[in-house]
Amino acid sequence: MISILIVIFGLTMLYMATTSRIKALINMLSIQGIILFLLILFIGKEKILHFNFIFLLIETLLIKAIIIPIFLKRVSVKNNIFRDTEPYIPNFYSLVISSIILFAGFIVSSSHHQLFANITTLYFGVSISTILISLLFITTKKKILTHVIGYTMMENGIFLLSLSVAKEMPMIVNMGVLLDVFIAIFILGMLVDKINILFEELDVCTLNNLKDCRDDD
Amino acid sequence: MMIEIILIFPLIASLILFLAKSKKLNNYVLVIYAILYSLITISFYLNKTANFLLQNYFMTDQLNILFLLILAIIFTGVTFYNLGFTQTPDIDNNQHTHYSIGILLFIFSMTGAILSTNLGLSWVFIEATTLASAYLIYFNKTKHALEAAWKYVFICSIGISLAFVGIILLLISTESINSLFFSDLYTNAAKLNPFWLKLSFVFILIGIGTKMGLAPVHSWLPDAHSEAPSPISALLSAALLNSAFLIILRVFKLMELTHLDHYARILLISMGILSLFITAVFVFNINNYKRMLAYSSIENMGIIAIGIAVGGLGVYAAMLHLIGHSLIKASFFLTAGNILKRFETKKISEISGILKVDKMTGWLWILSFVGIAGLPPSPLFLSEFLLLKTMLEKNQIIPALIIMILLTVIIYGIGKSVIKMSFGDIEVPQREYGLQKINLAMYLPQIIFITGALVLGIYIPPYINQIINNAVLAMSSL
Repeated sequence: MISILIVIFGLTMLYMATTSRIKALINMLSIQGIILFLLILFIGKEKILHFNFIFLLIETLLIKAIIIPIFLKRVSVKNNIFRDTEPYIPNFYSLVISSIILFAGFIVSSSHHQLFANITTLYFGVSISTILISLLFITTKKKILTHVIGYTMMENGIFLLSLSVAKEMPMIVNMGVLLDVFIAIFILGMLVDKINILFEELDVCTLNNLKDCRDDD
Repeated sequence: MMIEIILIFPLIASLILFLAKSKKLNNYVLVIYAILYSLITISFYLNKTANFLLQNYFMTDQLNILFLLILAIIFTGVTFYNLGFTQTPDIDNNQHTHYSIGILLFIFSMTGAILSTNLGLSWVFIEATTLASAYLIYFNKTKHALEAAWKYVFICSIGISLAFVGIILLLISTESINSLFFSDLYTNAAKLNPFWLKLSFVFILIGIGTKMGLAPVHSWLPDAHSEAPSPISALLSAALLNSAFLIILRVFKLMELTHLDHYARILLISMGILSLFITAVFVFNINNYKRMLAYSSIENMGIIAIGIAVGGLGVYAAMLHLIGHSLIKASFFLTAGNILKRFETKKISEISGILKVDKMTGWLWILSFVGIAGLPPSPLFLSEFLLLKTMLEKNQIIPALIIMILLTVIIYGIGKSVIKMSFGDIEVPQREYGLQKINLAMYLPQIIFITGALVLGIYIPPYINQIINNAVLAMSSL
């Protein structure tokens, strides 16, 4: 059951690499949140302390699966961004590269058994490839909103990685939750309207006023 | 009890300031905190074995006392500079309050990062520095400031996430120890799994290195430093980069204890030389003096990283460089603030004759340049000399040569701009250069910083030498 969930998690990454519709991306984030919630529900009991267990369940379900996607959707509607057109590399290539990364994650983590004494290999492969795919995602997309979505993907991958530590769970999982604060800041920044007033389009190509040439400034 | 005071004071104070919203109270609180901070830091230095309530999590030791002292000095200076800097009518009560609260929280998070004895806790505080300083960078509320703040938060948050991956990997390598306290890690260093430790060092170096401003991941730094208000740039450059460096230093010591230091040294030295190279390329053709200073910070962080990588006497050189760079760069950025107030432009091409407009600012500008360039009375001369000497002794002749050439190019690049700005005639003689805006508080901190630094270059008092030596010993105690 747990393995199936993790494989689904990896598949959501592949879907996110191909699609350019913002709505689909946000739905996938929501699905990832639910998968993390189920993972904690299944594996957490014996590893996590009681209060902490409840806190993490609430955090993943409420914040990762519901609140962040809702606010991202609100940003996308408010600014009329429904697609990230013209990424720097075509979606098909990004699918191919992401598949290779995911495949490599599986291969590397299953071929070095002796090193993986105290972590779960499948988790490790999927979470590391998720982090790499999100970095690829961020570098190839053009909208600020898709950057934030990419960052959220990466954060989900890191959360999965912290779950992969197979021994008794220390504070590390809770610390990962702190990364959500950044997402909150990004979303706030876009909701408070400052960015779209000053920069007409929420496009990273407009963030190019600061550079080192002689004539500008 | 002392550590609690410097950690809890800013939290309570920012709450009070938020409710009161009065310029006078803001100034008083900041000054009181700065003085208290310095006194407490000195008392830490004098008796090292005080008992604390939060002793498990926050402690001073031989290494971080150096960083704490630098932070205290820079913070006190910047606070006094702020008294003059924020004395303009275009900053209203609300903005002034937010600015003061931002500084309090920024100092709080840096102090936490420096004092914490747990890698995880340090990471949390480094994350907090990003959040606290983001508002300060955005303070001028222009389009450029917004762009700089957005890039700063986004790039640093990715860096911090990668550092977190590194911490998880480090935890995997600890196997049965299962603790992130530095003391536990150091005593059990032999039991760590080398494969995971190596992997985690790469992630931590890249992640925390983003905050420190090492080369391939430095790109937020020139934007943020040039768009932030000058006192904030001084704090960013002279204090924030150091506190990030301390964490790298602590993890590096772990690598030393596990005898993986050869691998870590190669990484550090390549990032360091790349930092010098990037600075040499960009500083040459730049038209914004605050960006120029920001690139110079990247260069100096690179030199410090190289010093640690070289080892031996290089560690001493790195620590001396750290002190010198913080004092001189703070003075440089604060003086840049004066120039910005007088000329109201950041373009090098539009400024000349600072000496004729404002003699004091002009001389501070030139002396800061002398300091940062490492010309003889500067402590950076000593540290760079020691570093190169150590490299030659260890037969690393080619990297030493590369460093010398790059340093020369950088000095030429900065010197060209500084001389162009300081000397020559005033371009628009009729213009009023805002003479009423600058008061004594905006000169005094720089004068003290630069005098201190230049004295340090000639004669290092025994107690300061003692602090540096202790830090070096703490780094190399095998």
